[in-house]
Amino acid sequence: MLAVTQTRVVVVGGGTAGWMTAAALRTLLPGRCTVDLVESQEIGIVGVGEATLPHIRGFNERLGIDEADFMSATKATFKLGIDFENWGRVGDRYIHPFGTFGRGQGEVDFHQYWLRLRHEGVAVPDLEQYSMACIMARLGKFALPAKDPDDIASTFNYAYQFDATLYAPYLRARAERLGCRRTEGRIVDVELNGESGDVDAVILADGQRIVGDLFVDCSGFVSLLIGKALEEPFEDWSKWLPCDRAVAMPCRTETAITPYTGVIAMDWGWRWRIPLQHRTGNGYVYASAFVSDEQTRSDLVDAVEGEPIAEPRVLKFKAGRRRRSWVKNCVAVGLASGFLEPLESTSIYLIQAAITALVELFPDNPIADCDRDEFNRVVDLEYDRIRDFLILHYHATERSDSPFWDYVRTMEIPDSLAEKLELFRRRGRVVKYREGVFLEASWIAVYLGQRVTPLGHDLRADIPAPDALARGMETLRGEIKAVAEGMPDHSAMLSRYCPMAA
Amino acid sequence: MAGGGIVGWSAAAALKRRLPNLSVSVVDCAPPTNALAERIICTLPSMVDFHGDLGLSTADTVIRAGSGYRLGTRFEGWAEADYVHAYGSYGTALGSAPFHQYWLRAAETSAAAPFDSYSAAAESARRNRFAPPDGVSRAGLGTIGYGLHIDPPRYREMMRAFALHLGVTEISATVSDVRLSSGDGSIQSVQVGGAEAAADLYVDATGPDALLRSRLDDQWEDWSEWLPNDRVLIAQSSSPAEPSLLDSAVAIRGGWRWQAAAPGQTSHGAVYSSKHLTDSDAARIVAESGSSVALESAVDIRQGRWSQPWLRNCVAIGDAAVAVEPLEWTNLHLAHGAIDRLVALMPDRDFSPVELWDYNRQAGAEADRVRDFLVLHYTTMDGQSRAAVPPSLAHTLQQFSERGRLPFYEEETFSRDSWLAVLFGQSAIPDRIDPLTEAVSPAEADQAMEQMRGAIKTFVDRLPKYSDFLQRMSQKAA
Repeated sequence: MLAVTQTRVVVVGGGTAGWMTAAALRTLLPGRCTVDLVESQEIGIVGVGEATLPHIRGFNERLGIDEADFMSATKATFKLGIDFENWGRVGDRYIHPFGTFGRGQGEVDFHQYWLRLRHEGVAVPDLEQYSMACIMARLGKFALPAKDPDDIASTFNYAYQFDATLYAPYLRARAERLGCRRTEGRIVDVELNGESGDVDAVILADGQRIVGDLFVDCSGFVSLLIGKALEEPFEDWSKWLPCDRAVAMPCRTETAITPYTGVIAMDWGWRWRIPLQHRTGNGYVYASAFVSDEQTRSDLVDAVEGEPIAEPRVLKFKAGRRRRSWVKNCVAVGLASGFLEPLESTSIYLIQAAITALVELFPDNPIADCDRDEFNRVVDLEYDRIRDFLILHYHATERSDSPFWDYVRTMEIPDSLAEKLELFRRRGRVVKYREGVFLEASWIAVYLGQRVTPLGHDLRADIPAPDALARGMETLRGEIKAVAEGMPDHSAMLSRYCPMAA
Repeated sequence: MAGGGIVGWSAAAALKRRLPNLSVSVVDCAPPTNALAERIICTLPSMVDFHGDLGLSTADTVIRAGSGYRLGTRFEGWAEADYVHAYGSYGTALGSAPFHQYWLRAAETSAAAPFDSYSAAAESARRNRFAPPDGVSRAGLGTIGYGLHIDPPRYREMMRAFALHLGVTEISATVSDVRLSSGDGSIQSVQVGGAEAAADLYVDATGPDALLRSRLDDQWEDWSEWLPNDRVLIAQSSSPAEPSLLDSAVAIRGGWRWQAAAPGQTSHGAVYSSKHLTDSDAARIVAESGSSVALESAVDIRQGRWSQPWLRNCVAIGDAAVAVEPLEWTNLHLAHGAIDRLVALMPDRDFSPVELWDYNRQAGAEADRVRDFLVLHYTTMDGQSRAAVPPSLAHTLQQFSERGRLPFYEEETFSRDSWLAVLFGQSAIPDRIDPLTEAVSPAEADQAMEQMRGAIKTFVDRLPKYSDFLQRMSQKAA
């Protein structure tokens, strides 16, 4: 056994990524590392990632965070999925639910039976009628999932929509309680070791020098350590994901607080709508090669539902990731490691995946290559799979109403995605991975929602007698509707469970 | 369906049962004696699931076809101490690190019992006490899985009768020729007993010669560099006085031998490399492993797999698709994997390359993971120099030896606990312990681990003796 020494961890940047990292390290590896976090009040939080995926629940739980307390502090709402408008064609609408279609228990995927009836010419209702999460979302209802796996109310999952500018301070309070030291200051220099090339220290504007064994780069887009100091190249994915700007503007909520995120395809990209307890976040993500900032800015102002709370603000980015996220003694977490547009709310998920991998592969001193390599393998896989899923949204469209849509509809896509698409077109099959952020139901929702229509279906779906199958599906639909209708309204649930802190 | 062995009839029954609109004919030619899926009596827990999908109860198959239960294998002479690889969990959850990390920490200070003493299945197997798991979870106990001992000729007969009952047609003949279409090179027809038979899809279950599939291309991946054993000798002796839930795999010079005491017979055998052991020495070793052991002649195996088991309108399954030695008893399991995939992925008549690609990707990954698990037994053997290993296994071994981590792979047959049972059994010890263990103090962990052993002991104490259990079962059926 090697001797156990305390690793001095320096976290650079105090946004969501920085404080999630600091809180996780101090909670899970208290005896193994000290944590210094350097942040500057002068630099703001990007805070695009207000909508999350269900995985965040596991992360919070591991940190011992009480759900209601956290939701109240971050003015959070529940999220059952994403409502996509105008993607396949203008006027189309579908939900990507956090949950299954059908009960999700049988040997054959539920949508195969649905496809079979469609192929037989039966007028079956839309697939979302058979999803608990979709119907709850449509009705604006919410209750916590049932524990009994045979209960239809156990067939959905949920995430949160929260104010990212409040999540970081919430975690900061925890991390500091657990012994994380915070230093205020702007970093002006990064000191590299002449021999090893490792980061030795960061130098602040006031002359302070902060040394460490392991540096976590949470500096956001500027990528201060891994990008600027260590010069790790950036893999540019903009040929597949051409959107490179967003204009964001929060507004007052005028309609009901929906338990889902809205994602509306626009002429030059798409628009998000994220309802929180106190306001609604809005933004327009677009490709600057096709449209001007002024145009999208005025389109956004026209589109938002309520009185604006702030001036529109433009963010610039590029889709892609660093070739490696862990180089030398520097681990990049969050935007410093890469960026994928928030179309499927993956920003915070990617932060969390990197932190989980770092905790599992927490290095000794000196750092072993195998820890670094394994971390990079795990993180790359996450990025690559999400990338394909995002590209699918743009590519699977019939829209031809702007040069932007013409480009994404006809662009070449990665082979890994082309194979998946073709497999679904043949018989509605989804390539199954046991590990991966988006499971079958997610792919099915997007394929069918964007008019990728299978020619055939799984032969096993032909076995049940037609009337028995139709009756069974109708019963299920009725049960889902009745159970959803019996649930509290989302807003009522929020005010009872986690009313926002003043 | 070409091939009338266990694999062919099982595939026919599964296809007809689960896709009743297909019409299925079996050319009932006997697979050769080196088709190990047809001959090895030990099977894995997936066997029970396979029966479940077909609507066959294990009690039925056990009684009708002379089968018995098995919980695992004792490896003798592979490491300093013998160890048991049993099916089910080893240890139960404890804090935020995996159980084996706490065990490792305790093992450093010698506070831990052998790894397999935290497995309820291993303990049941050692003490030869059994009742099928009831699915009720008990604190500290974990899960238990079981496979079956089959009587191959009787089992084949049962599967054949079941398939015929489901409406499968039998063609009693052998395949004498395969005719390929001059256009795309797919199979146009097969010559069976002087007549010509044509089908939309040809399933090759003819054993290692792959009579049909081998006509389409010769892209075979040879594994002999990692798995050099090329001879198998099978033998049997009369019913044991006491049938056993635990089989043994004993390391011998140039290979290993087995012994499995099933209710109806005791199976013996040896697997070895002809470079290191002669057939006559192997025969002597097997003959001496019991009294009046009836030997058969040794057969050749060539370990490896087709790069694409499914090509055009022909899919190879079982020994025709992948050939491995019977270590860890995966031969019939791999055939079942192929059958399940065939049912789930049955494509259209035009055999679109993308659908075959999906099948081949899964089949290839499953076979490669089994290969790695088998190679693992040799690379971690005591006193042996580390032989070359496939890159995917090298990655696992590196991650494990550095910090006890098992990287995830798709299509894995053996659970993480199975990997750990073999790794720890063979004394592979990581350099570092997961720092996540630090949140639970050694004293707390020791106490929890003691409780697990207590729960396992109490549980096994209450189980009936295996022979009593079998007797009761046959009385109930009578």
